[in-house]
Amino acid sequence: MALREPAWRVTARELESSLEEERGSGERAAGYLLSPFGARMNRVVVAGSLSPAESIGRDESSAFWRARLSDPTGAVAVTAGSFQPRAMAQLRAARESRPAMVVGKVHLYRGRDGVGYVSVRAEAVRSLAEGEERALLADAVRQTLDRLDLIERVEKAPSTTESDLRAEGVPTTWVRAAHEALRRYPQVDRAAFRRELGAAVRRVAGESGPVPSESGRPTSVTVTHVAPPRAPAPPPTAAERAEESVFLDLLDEIAEVSVDGYADLKEVVSRLEAQGLVPDRVETVLSRLEEEGVVEEPIVGKLRRA
Amino acid sequence: MSTPEPFATPNETRLRDLRAGAAGVLILARVVAVERREITRRSDGGRRPLLSGLLSDGTATVRFTWWDPPRDGIERGTVLRAAGVEVREFRGRPELTFSWKTRVEPASAVELPKVTGEEFPLRQVRELAPPEEGFRLRARVLRVQPKTVTVGEDRRVVHEGLLADRTGSISFSSWSDFQLVAGEAIQVAGGYLRTFRGRQQLVLDDRSVVSRVEATDLPDPAELLRAGPKTIARVEDEGGGETVAVEGIVVGLLPPSGLVYRCPTCRRTVKSGICRVHGQVEGQPDLRARIVLDDGTGALTINAGRAETERLWGVTLAEARGRLREQPDPTILEEQILEALLGRRLRVRGQGTKDDFGVTVQPESIEAVEIDLDAAATELSARIPVGR
Repeated sequence: MALREPAWRVTARELESSLEEERGSGERAAGYLLSPFGARMNRVVVAGSLSPAESIGRDESSAFWRARLSDPTGAVAVTAGSFQPRAMAQLRAARESRPAMVVGKVHLYRGRDGVGYVSVRAEAVRSLAEGEERALLADAVRQTLDRLDLIERVEKAPSTTESDLRAEGVPTTWVRAAHEALRRYPQVDRAAFRRELGAAVRRVAGESGPVPSESGRPTSVTVTHVAPPRAPAPPPTAAERAEESVFLDLLDEIAEVSVDGYADLKEVVSRLEAQGLVPDRVETVLSRLEEEGVVEEPIVGKLRRA
Repeated sequence: MSTPEPFATPNETRLRDLRAGAAGVLILARVVAVERREITRRSDGGRRPLLSGLLSDGTATVRFTWWDPPRDGIERGTVLRAAGVEVREFRGRPELTFSWKTRVEPASAVELPKVTGEEFPLRQVRELAPPEEGFRLRARVLRVQPKTVTVGEDRRVVHEGLLADRTGSISFSSWSDFQLVAGEAIQVAGGYLRTFRGRQQLVLDDRSVVSRVEATDLPDPAELLRAGPKTIARVEDEGGGETVAVEGIVVGLLPPSGLVYRCPTCRRTVKSGICRVHGQVEGQPDLRARIVLDDGTGALTINAGRAETERLWGVTLAEARGRLREQPDPTILEEQILEALLGRRLRVRGQGTKDDFGVTVQPESIEAVEIDLDAAATELSARIPVGR
C-alpha cells in the first residue's frame, strides 16, 4: 500500500542535523531522511522567514530556483524547479523576505568531503500571516518535544513494545524512528538540542521578531568532517593544465547533450577515470577550476562553466 | 414432498447449534433463497436435479443442498421440517445436505423458534464481522433518520443511522420501523451484517427484535459525537471509522478539485460530456475540493462538497463560473482554491473509509481552528529545561 507520506513537523535545526538516510527498496519506493531526534522524513512542512529566491537554473527551459528558509533554530535551502511550477512561481514572486510555509520533500546530498547538504524540494509554498507562522512553529516544537520524549522513553525502557505505545496513541512510525535515531546517532546530545528549541518557543510567544533571512548562498550545510587545511597550491604545471583542458572538454561534451544543460559530476568522474585519470586527480582538478572560477557547481552534483 | 411421516424425535436442532460431521439432524427452517440446477453425471451423462440456497430459523442462516428434490413446492418463504440432514463444513461454516435419507415435510411459520434475542450471545461492536448473525448487541443510537428508497417497483422507507458502544460504532439500516430515537439505549437481536461501500453495516428487518435497555455501560452520545480529534496515524491504523475526528493543516489538493460537471441522474462526475453509466448527458456544474489534511503523523483526504468548498474558499459556484468565463482555464480555479486553503488549520468530523490510497473522509463538519499562541508558548516552554 502506498499511503501518502506525512509531512513531518520539524525545525530547520533538525533538518540541518540529519545525515542518515534510509533507502526504500523496490520500484518507486520512498526514501527517508532520518534525524537524530526521531523523525523519518520523506515529506516535511517548515515555517519561517523565506528569503527571495535566486535562479540556479541555466536557462528558461531548465528553470531552478533556490531560497532559504530561516527559523529561530537554523536555516534550510528550499528549491523548486519546473516540475513544481506552482511552488517555483511562489518562490520567484517574492522580492523580500517574508513569513512563509513550505511543504516539500527532503533531499540529502553528501558531498565529496563528507559534507551533507539538506534541502527541501518545495511542493507547495505560501506566505503566512505572522500568527500562522508562529502557530506552525508551535506545532514543530511540540512534535519535536514529543519525539524527544519518546526517544528518552525507549532508551530508558527498551522493553516497551510498539503495541503498548500504540495503545497510548503513539504512531508506530514514530516508535521505529526513535529506535533508528538511537541506533544511528549514538553520540548526539539531545538535551542540548532540546534547550535550543527555547529560541523557537520565544518566537511562538512573540518575544522575538521574525528571523532575518538574507538571500544569497544558503548556509544549510552541516560539516561533519572538516578536511585538513591545504598548503597553498604551487602554480599548476603543464601536465596539470593538460588535465584541466581534458576535464573542460569532457564537461562541455556532457553538458552539451544533457537535458538540463549541466554536466553530471558522477558522469564526469567516471568518464575521466576511463581515460586514466584517478578520482583523486579529478577532485584536485575540479577544486582548482572552481577556485579559479572556471567551473561552478550551482546544484550539488551538477557542473557548468562559470 | 416425499414421505411425510411423523417424526420420532420432536426436538429440532437450531441452525446456530449445528456441528459439522453430524448426520441425521432434525431442523426447522424457512427457505430464504433457493435456486434449482441440474448436475450432469460424468459416468452416463444422466442429469440429476439439485436445489440449493439458504435456510434460516432466526438463529442463523446456512447454505443447503438438496439432491433429487420434489419437482415443485419449494420456494422462497417455504417453512419446512427436515429429518436426517447431514451437516458438513465449508470454509469454516456449516452447510446442510439433504439426501435420499432425508425426510422433509412442510411446517408452519408459527413453529419457528421465537426470537427474543436473550438466547443469543452478547457481542460488542468491535467484535462484529460479516457474515455473523444470531447475536445480541447493546448500543446507543447516535442518530437515526428515515430515507425513502426504491426497491424494484416498491418505494420503501429505510431508517438509517449509527449505533455505538464503548468499543466502537457501526452504521445500521433498518427496513422495519422500530421508532428509534437518537440518544436512547437499545438491545438489538436478530440482525445481520453486511459490507456496504467498504464499511460494515448492521441490517435490521421485521425478524429483528429491538428493546430499550438501561444504559449504564454505554457511552454518552455527546461524548461520542464530540470526541476530541485522534491522530491521523491512529485513524489510518483503525481503517477509518463511522465518526472520525481529526485536526491538521491543509498541505495539498488532489484532482479533481474545483469546478466539476455531474450527471443529472446519478451525480457522477462527467468527463467530456459522458457519464460512465448514463452516456451523453448535459453535465451540471458543481464545486468540490479533495483536501489533503496532514497532522504530522499521517495524511488523509477530505472530500469537501459544494457547500464546504464555497465556505472554505469564500467563492460561490456562480462566482467560480464567472471567473472561468474570464479566464477559460479550469486549473486556475484549482490553484486559487489551493492558495486559499494551503496551511489552513482544520478540524474535520465525518465518516472515514480506507482503501489502498489511505483514508478518505466524507465530512459532516469542517471547522477552522484557532491556536492560542500564548498558551502554546507556556505549555512548550515548560517542557524545555532552563540553563545548562
